[in-house]
Amino acid sequence: MNNINHSNSGVLLKLTDVVAGYGSGMVLKGVNLELKKGDVMCLIGPNGAGKSTVLKTVSGLLPPKEGAVVFEGQNIAGHTPKENLRRGIVHVPQERSLFPGMTVWDNLLMGGYLIRSRKVIQDRIDEAAHLFPIVTERRNTHAGSLSGGEQKQVELARTLIFDPKLILLDEPSIGLDPKSRRLVFEAIRGLATAGRTILLVEQNARSGLAAADQGAILETGLVRITGVAATLLEDPEVARLYLGASTMTRPPAKTQQEN
Amino acid sequence: MHTLIQGIILGVLTGGVYALMASGQTLIFGVMKVVNLAQGAFVIASAYLAFSLFTQFGIDPLVAVLITTPLMFGIGVVGHWLFLRPLRSEDANQLSLLITFALAMLVEGILSMTYRTTYRSINTSYANKAFDIGGFSVSAVRLYGFIVSCVLLIVLYIVLQKTRFGRAIRATVQNPQSATLLGVDSVRVKAYGFGLGISTAAASGSIYGLLFPFNSGSHYDLISRLLSVVVLGGLGSIGGAVLAGVIIGVVSSVAAVTWSPTWSEMTFFVVLILVLLVRPQGMFGRVERGAL
Repeated sequence: MNNINHSNSGVLLKLTDVVAGYGSGMVLKGVNLELKKGDVMCLIGPNGAGKSTVLKTVSGLLPPKEGAVVFEGQNIAGHTPKENLRRGIVHVPQERSLFPGMTVWDNLLMGGYLIRSRKVIQDRIDEAAHLFPIVTERRNTHAGSLSGGEQKQVELARTLIFDPKLILLDEPSIGLDPKSRRLVFEAIRGLATAGRTILLVEQNARSGLAAADQGAILETGLVRITGVAATLLEDPEVARLYLGASTMTRPPAKTQQEN
Repeated sequence: MHTLIQGIILGVLTGGVYALMASGQTLIFGVMKVVNLAQGAFVIASAYLAFSLFTQFGIDPLVAVLITTPLMFGIGVVGHWLFLRPLRSEDANQLSLLITFALAMLVEGILSMTYRTTYRSINTSYANKAFDIGGFSVSAVRLYGFIVSCVLLIVLYIVLQKTRFGRAIRATVQNPQSATLLGVDSVRVKAYGFGLGISTAAASGSIYGLLFPFNSGSHYDLISRLLSVVVLGGLGSIGGAVLAGVIIGVVSSVAAVTWSPTWSEMTFFVVLILVLLVRPQGMFGRVERGAL
């Protein structure tokens, strides 16, 4: 473990030249990214650009082959998901991550799996219920019988049980109807207002950027553009290349071979 | 009519024991997607342990459960560590069948060497005792065995539903990646889950030893019955295994009293074949890929 002094105070997470991939193919080819404490950053880009892979290298699901992942001044590259969870990094994967046969309540308890004190878990559930009232309203419902939007809310609430320093959200709006999608983005804003630091990956680029403070555009395994989310949204070049005409962005054809 | 009710009572009592054995096996499938062909061998090993504890130390087989259950749990955890943990996840489903079969052979071999192959039975003071309940004869061994099985099934239920460890097991069954992301150590959960599944063999073994004569090869017969029960219940469903255990227990015992004991043995396989033809996922199973 080498401690790296971060010159820029307030930086929670810093990726330096991160190379990562599966087997021999490299998905990330030297990613550089910096996230300040309390900020919401939205990572956008075409399919196969490596957005989800970035999150996996941060949470530890995929150890990077090269480069540094510095969290709170410490290089955590190659550490396990469990170690990183203890540091306060919670990863919400793209797939549905609730336990469908367990009640909403048991799902929340699982969110506090590494916390030994039942009292602490209980207090955090109460806190989470302020932002996501569904968790107390439907506490005895089996998670699998909730709608997609409701499940997402429970997933977000569950991350709070850990009192995370950094929440990694992989495509939270995927597969949701427009109303649920709006609720999810409102929830993300709610989390941001509550001071949470979030690294968000979104295929829904416009909505994602609108909910974020910072934006970063990833293409073919490299970060091409970073900036204030609102500025990126208004940049005509960015809009033309990455946001598409509608809110539903489609990946440019030229990058599809990357998959 | 009297014979029929007598048969049903007998079937429920025997079914309770099958329910306990099968719940362990189906739990192992749920946690690890492993069809544990060694479950029967561990039941027979437990029967021998109970036999030794009874003949050497005079410990009642049903009390011996307090000793054999933690022991079988430990054997399960170690067995997982030695034989199943090294499997790469992509080969695990297919190879685990061979490996658990080899484990059954290993257990059988050890038992044959230790105890020879002569049939043994555990003859307690209450072995031939029977109660008269409302005109029906209920054998003491079966009644005690049923009660012990029910108590252990309730304990298993509480462990799975109400404890942190139980939640981790259920979470791993339902969504392994998500459980890992929440800090569950999946290797440890699998090892303990396997241990918990094997530990149900301990009490089953004591009761089996009280009910039937056994030798080291008895597990072949037992595992085929257990497979019928877990397949009917739905692989991975403990509630299903319990219900299926009782159903098959009743059907085979009713067949024995109303028809012939020969057909009683057959009921297990008739049920197995019918379920596989009509509803392969069983009563409460989900359709699984890559298993069996």
